[in-house]
Amino acid sequence: MGTTASQLGKDLLSEYQELTFLTKQEILLAHKRFTELLTKDEKDLPNTRVPAERILTLPELKSNPFRKRICHVFSTSEQKDGSLTFEDFLDLLSAFSDSATLEIKSHYAFRIFDFDDDGTLDCGDLEKLVNCLTGETDETRLTTEEMRQLINNILEESDIDKDGTVNLSEFQHVISRSPDFVSSFKIVL
Amino acid sequence: MASEPWRQGSREVHDYTEGNGYPGDQHSLRLRRVSSRVSNQNYPQFDWNPPPAEKDEEGNRAQPRDLRGIPLPMALKRAVRQVQQMQVPVVSSRESWKRKKTKSLHKLKDNARGWLSFFTLWSKSLQKIGGNFGGGVQSYFLFLRFLVVLNFVSFLLIAGFVLIPSIVFRSVGDSLVNSTGPKECMEYDPNPQGLVVFYNYFLNLLSGTGFMEYSYLFYGYYNNTTVEDSNFSYNIPLAYLFTAVFYFAFCLICIIARMGTAARVVVVTGGSAVGNYSMIVFTSWDYGCLGDRATKLKQKNIHYRLQVDLEEESIKKRAAALTLCQKIVLYALRVSMGFVSFGLIIAAFYGIFVATDFSQKNSGEQGILGLIFEYLPSIVITAGNFLVPLLCDQIALIERYAPSTTVIVALLRAVFLRLVSLGVLLFTLWSQITCAGETTVKDCTLCQYNYNVYPCWETRVGQEMYKLTLFDLLINIVVLVLVEFPRRMVVDNWSSKLAQWVGRQEFVVPANVLGLVYGQTVVWTGALFCPLLPLINTIKFVLLFYFKKITLFYNCRPALKTFRSTTSTFFFLVVLLFGWSLATVVMIYSLSEIHPSMGCGPFRFFPNMWSIVPKSFYNLSEITQEFLFFIGSQEFSIPLFALSCVVMCYFITLASVYGKSVALLRAQLKLEGRDKQFLVKQIEELSRQHHILKHTAGAHD
Repeated sequence: MGTTASQLGKDLLSEYQELTFLTKQEILLAHKRFTELLTKDEKDLPNTRVPAERILTLPELKSNPFRKRICHVFSTSEQKDGSLTFEDFLDLLSAFSDSATLEIKSHYAFRIFDFDDDGTLDCGDLEKLVNCLTGETDETRLTTEEMRQLINNILEESDIDKDGTVNLSEFQHVISRSPDFVSSFKIVL
Repeated sequence: MASEPWRQGSREVHDYTEGNGYPGDQHSLRLRRVSSRVSNQNYPQFDWNPPPAEKDEEGNRAQPRDLRGIPLPMALKRAVRQVQQMQVPVVSSRESWKRKKTKSLHKLKDNARGWLSFFTLWSKSLQKIGGNFGGGVQSYFLFLRFLVVLNFVSFLLIAGFVLIPSIVFRSVGDSLVNSTGPKECMEYDPNPQGLVVFYNYFLNLLSGTGFMEYSYLFYGYYNNTTVEDSNFSYNIPLAYLFTAVFYFAFCLICIIARMGTAARVVVVTGGSAVGNYSMIVFTSWDYGCLGDRATKLKQKNIHYRLQVDLEEESIKKRAAALTLCQKIVLYALRVSMGFVSFGLIIAAFYGIFVATDFSQKNSGEQGILGLIFEYLPSIVITAGNFLVPLLCDQIALIERYAPSTTVIVALLRAVFLRLVSLGVLLFTLWSQITCAGETTVKDCTLCQYNYNVYPCWETRVGQEMYKLTLFDLLINIVVLVLVEFPRRMVVDNWSSKLAQWVGRQEFVVPANVLGLVYGQTVVWTGALFCPLLPLINTIKFVLLFYFKKITLFYNCRPALKTFRSTTSTFFFLVVLLFGWSLATVVMIYSLSEIHPSMGCGPFRFFPNMWSIVPKSFYNLSEITQEFLFFIGSQEFSIPLFALSCVVMCYFITLASVYGKSVALLRAQLKLEGRDKQFLVKQIEELSRQHHILKHTAGAHD
C-alpha cells in the first residue's frame, strides 16, 4: 500500500486527494520531492521511512525554528525519532496547505508548541516557544524579567479557566480571533 | 531545542489518537486517568480516545465527517474511512441523493479552484514576496493587483460602449440638435498651425496637447451622433454618460465586495488591543519564510515587536501615573502640535493654489519652459506630499503618542494631504473655467464658461489628469533609478559609519499605498474627460508592479516594524473609498452644474450634461415611462424604506444575540475549569484517605 519506485498509482492518488487537503499537482510534486530524498536502494522499497535529518534538508523546513517539532508531531514511528514516511509527509503538507481548515491547523499548531507532549501549554512550553520565536542566541533572547512579564500576560489573556496552563480549547479561542493565522501557517513546496 | 518527550514517573505522554478537535468536556471528565503521585501543580493527563459508542452515534446522526479535517495520521484516516464505508447509514433516498450532490459539488469546486489558480495573475511572484518580506508588503502588492484588474475591466467597459461605437459610427449618423449658440463659443481648433518643430511631438505626448488633443484620448473628439437604423439605434452621448456613471457604480461595488471579506475579519477580531501578546506568540510565525536570512529577520522582527509591546505597556503604566500638571502640559503640547501640522498642510494647499493659477495663466509658453509651467501643479503637489509627511513625522516625535497611535495619525494626515491637495487643484481649475461660479463676469457671460482661455474645457481638465498620471509614474521611476539603486550601492560598498546609519532602503507600505490611492483617484476624476485614462492607468500600474518588485528584491530590507496584513487591507480599501467619493463629487458637479463646451464634445448643445437623460427619456415607450415614474414616486420608495429598516433591525438583533452567546460560552468555560479543579481536589482527598486506610490496615497486620 505504499509508494513504489517513482510512480503513484491512480487509485492511490485519488485516495490521497480524498484524505488530504492537497490537489493532484501538489501530491505529485510532494512525491517528486520525497523521492529525491531517498537513496537508490530505498527507492525500491515500499513505505520507506526517511530519518529526520534528511527531511530537515528540505529548504522549506531547513531554517524553520520549529522544524524538529514538526517532524516529531507528524511522525508515526514507534521510536518517536521524527522519521517520516511518504504518507506522514503528505499529512504534514495537508495540514500546512492552502485549503486546510482553521480547526486542523490550530490542532497541529497546538501539538507543535506542546514541547513536553502533555496536552497543555504550561510555563515551560511557553518559554521554549518564545525562545524559538525570537532566536536562540544570547542577544536575541528576552531578559528573564521580560520573559516573566510576557508569560504572565499570555496566561492572563488566554488562560480562561485559570489553571495555569493553556489547553486546546483556549488555544483555539485565541487563534480564532487572529485573521492572519491561516495565511501564515502555510508551507508550500 | 529539546523536542524529545521525556517521561517522568508521574507523567504520561499525551495520546492524540482521537482527532475530535474539541475533545468535549464530557470526555475529559469521564476518562481522566490520574497517576498516583499527582500533586496540586501536576494536572492529570487526558486520554482523547472516545468510547466506541460515542463514535457510532456521530457516524449515524450527521453527515459523514470530512475525512481531511480529522487530525489523524493517514493510516488511521484510512481506517475511519473504511468504517464509514462499511456503516450503511439508515437514510432516506432523498438524503442520500443530497449527499451525492454535495460530494460532486465539492469535487467541482476543487477542480474550478485548480483552474482559477492557473489564471490568477502573478501568484508565484506574490508568494515569493510574502515569504521573503512578510504579509504587510504582500498586502501592498495584492492591492496593486486588485487595482490593475479593476482598471482593465473598466477599460473594457468603456471601450465596448463608448470607444468602439464612436469609431464605427464616426462618419455615419447625424447630430441631435442643431447649433443655436453664439458663434464665438463654437470656435475650437486644436490642430497645430504651421510648421511643427520635431521635439514638439515629444512635448505634446507628455502634456496631451497638439496632435494628442484632438484624438480619442480626450472628450473633445467625440461627437454627439445618434445612429438610427430600422431596428437599431445608438445614442452616443447617452452611452457616454451612462458608461461613466456605471463605471463609478461598478468600482464602488468591487471595492465594497472586497471590503466585505476584510471587514468580517476585523469585526471578529474586535480590535487588536485585547489578547495581543497571546496573538503575537501563537500566530506571528510565518511558516512560509524561506532561508536563513529571512528566518533571522523574522525572529528579530518578533523580538522587536515583543520588546516594543512590553515597553509600551510599561509606558502606559507610567502615563497613568502622571500627575495632573504633567498631563495638562502633555495635552497642551499635543494640541499645539496638531495646529502646527494643520498649518503645514494649509501652507501646502496655498502653494498648490498659487502654482495652478500661475500655470493656467502662462499656458501659452512654448518649449521646455512651457512644459515646466504645464507640469507646475504636479511638481508642487509631489513636493508637498513628500515634505509635509516628513515634517509631520518630526512633529509626531514631540507629541509622544503610543507607537500604534502615531502610525494611524501619520497615515490620516498623509491621506488628508494627498486627497485634499488634489481637491485644491480641481477647485482652482473650476474657478478659472467658470469664473468662480459667477456667470455675470465679463469672460463668462457669453457661453457660461471662460471660452477665451478654454474653448474646450473638458479636454483641458482631462489633460490635467493625464499629466498628473504620467508625472506620478515618471517620479516613481526617477526615484527608483536616482535614489534607491545608488543608495543601495553606497551602503553595500562603502563601510563607513554614516552609510551604516543610513542603511538600506526600507519598503514603507503605507506611503506606497497612498501613492496608489492617489493615482487611482486621479484616474477616476479624469475618466469622464479622458476615456482612455483607465487603459493608461492599467499600463502604468503593471509597470509599477514590476519596478516596485525589482526595487524590493534588490534594494530593500524587510521592515523591522510590521504592518498587520488583514486590518491593513481593510484600511487601504477605506482610503480608496475616500478617493472614490472625491471623484464622485467632481463627476456629479460636472454633470449637473457646468455648461458643456459648445465647440466640442458629445454634449455640445445641451445646457448641462445630464439634460440628455430627460430628453431621451421621453423617447421611450409610454409603459416604460410610467414604470420608471412609479419607481421614483413615493408609493414605492416609502414601503421600500420601511422594509429595509425591518431587515436592518433583524440583523442588528442577530448580531447582539451572537455577541451574548459568545460571552455566555466564555463564562461556561470558566465554570467548567472550576468544576475540574473541584473534582481533582476531591479525587486527591479520596485517594489520600484510601492510602491512609491502607497504611493503618497494613500497620495493624
